[in-house]
Amino acid sequence: MKLRIILFFLITILCSAIFISACKNNDVPGDNVPYNPTYINLEVPAGWPTPPDIYVNNKLTEEGFQLGKKLFYDGRLSKDGNFPCASCHQQFAAFATYDHDFSHGFNNTFTTRNAPGLFNLAWMTKLHWDGGINHIEVQPLAPITAQNEMAETVENVLNKLKADGDYPRMFQSAFGTTEINSQKLLKALAQFMGTIVSSNAKYDKVKRGEASFTAPEQNGYNLFKAKCETCHKEPLFTDNSFRNNGMAVNTFLNDYGRMRISNDKNDSLKFKVPSLRNVILTFPYMHDGRFYSIGQAIDHYRTGIITTQPTLDPLLINRIAITNTEKNDLIYFLQTLTDTTMTRSPRFAQ
Amino acid sequence: MNRTLLILLFSTGLFLLSCQKSPDEDLRTGTVKITFKNTVKGNPLVLNTGVYSNSFGEQYNVAKFKYYISNVVMNGTQISAGSSEYYLVDEGNAASLSFSFTAKSQIYSSLSFLLGVDSARNVSGAQTGALDPLNDMFWTWNSGYIMAKLEGTSPQSTVVNNKVEYHIGGFAGTNSVLKNINLTVPSSINVPLNVDPDKTCEIFIEADLDTWWQGAYDLKIAVNPAATHPGALAKNISDNYSNMFKITDVKLY
Repeated sequence: MKLRIILFFLITILCSAIFISACKNNDVPGDNVPYNPTYINLEVPAGWPTPPDIYVNNKLTEEGFQLGKKLFYDGRLSKDGNFPCASCHQQFAAFATYDHDFSHGFNNTFTTRNAPGLFNLAWMTKLHWDGGINHIEVQPLAPITAQNEMAETVENVLNKLKADGDYPRMFQSAFGTTEINSQKLLKALAQFMGTIVSSNAKYDKVKRGEASFTAPEQNGYNLFKAKCETCHKEPLFTDNSFRNNGMAVNTFLNDYGRMRISNDKNDSLKFKVPSLRNVILTFPYMHDGRFYSIGQAIDHYRTGIITTQPTLDPLLINRIAITNTEKNDLIYFLQTLTDTTMTRSPRFAQ
Repeated sequence: MNRTLLILLFSTGLFLLSCQKSPDEDLRTGTVKITFKNTVKGNPLVLNTGVYSNSFGEQYNVAKFKYYISNVVMNGTQISAGSSEYYLVDEGNAASLSFSFTAKSQIYSSLSFLLGVDSARNVSGAQTGALDPLNDMFWTWNSGYIMAKLEGTSPQSTVVNNKVEYHIGGFAGTNSVLKNINLTVPSSINVPLNVDPDKTCEIFIEADLDTWWQGAYDLKIAVNPAATHPGALAKNISDNYSNMFKITDVKLY
């Protein structure tokens, strides 16, 4: 009798287990590895605005971040293997291209715009100099497929990743299945790029009361607040707007910026206001990298602005009066925006 | 032993029941199948080799003809998860010319859908399925979907290789090309949109691509051989092609 009862319970439990498992439809086909990701959060520094939730459909996980990092540094995302994302976005240059007006692409080509630094992207409402990209997830499609950048098709990238020994397992850890598709590729890259936060420059330490400006830095900061702050708004040092800062059009490129996206002639020659964080590392400056030094860039605002352009930003119609001493102080201040914690962080390194 | 077996059967039955959705007798459903027939003025479209002429006497052939259908509603209401899906109708892919979804059993009087991808999906990051950028209907330089694509050649085209290339997109502002298409069964077709339980109501919709050049605007190939970015021309073409659909048949089986 006792044996029968035990047998009865055993069979009942077995049957229940079978039926319960039949009810579940989130099983990973062909995968027996449990999906236990480590959820992480986007770090929002104290006092910063709340960013739009770019991860609302892309839950941040440590595994997703690590997968995104591997993809970011993987040359196989390019046609000949030589052009990973990181070839133009170098960590030591705040993820811009160090010392290049235009970056180098596949088959000895040049890009047509200066590579921007990649940090605090979660706060960017539009990406690229002309704001043509409306979500961080779809940005990599542009460089991957551009003939003068990575020159590859997304299809080929996916095939290379599927044939790899590590990626299926990493996609499984990040997203729960070994399936590799364009959406997961792009979401993983967004998990890496969007969580690169630059918030530990000397400027930040001063703001937190952990350091203090030297006298020239403080003078430069005062000048910055008086004359630069409207467009390069703290704490991100950009207001994410598009403005014409009065440069002659580059006749090789005939790049009219935002107008290409908006089809509005009022947007002619308008480009995204870049963040000044890490500005010392991201030279050369402007959308075509025409100014090699920060001094030249400041001089443009002092004396170089073409004031007759119809779409010139109204704030610049009288140029910006900055004395030589003020210029030096301003540069001292801009140097306090360099965040070596980010540029040296092993977390973001290959 | 009999008692044990009984209990065993009972408990198994319980678990089986727990798997099922609670039955609701009032929600009997059938299937709506929508089948697109792409034509030129009613004649079946033949890719590449078919030679056609528009009302301006301009000759053309067609190599690609694709468009997005989404947000299908009947009688003004959303029908099911399937009707809310996104479908890419591609003349080059026979399987894409039909799609089906479940619908509550009743007689419907109208069918509507969005020609294109609603603005929300244009700004929400990477998508998959019909919206996968691999389908070559997503602009990488100016985020957003190409809602409808027509490519071919015409001797009247003045651009390289006599190309005719219309990539029609733009989801925001005055130049949005998104079109709500509302269709009713013409009186000449004496079949109602009747979705019977467990049966199929197949709706045949003709899409006449010749409408792309005239209707709201006269757009000659000689003047406008290409439209490849959002803007006024794309908007005008979409105003024309918003008239390309009509219901040509309904079959109940």
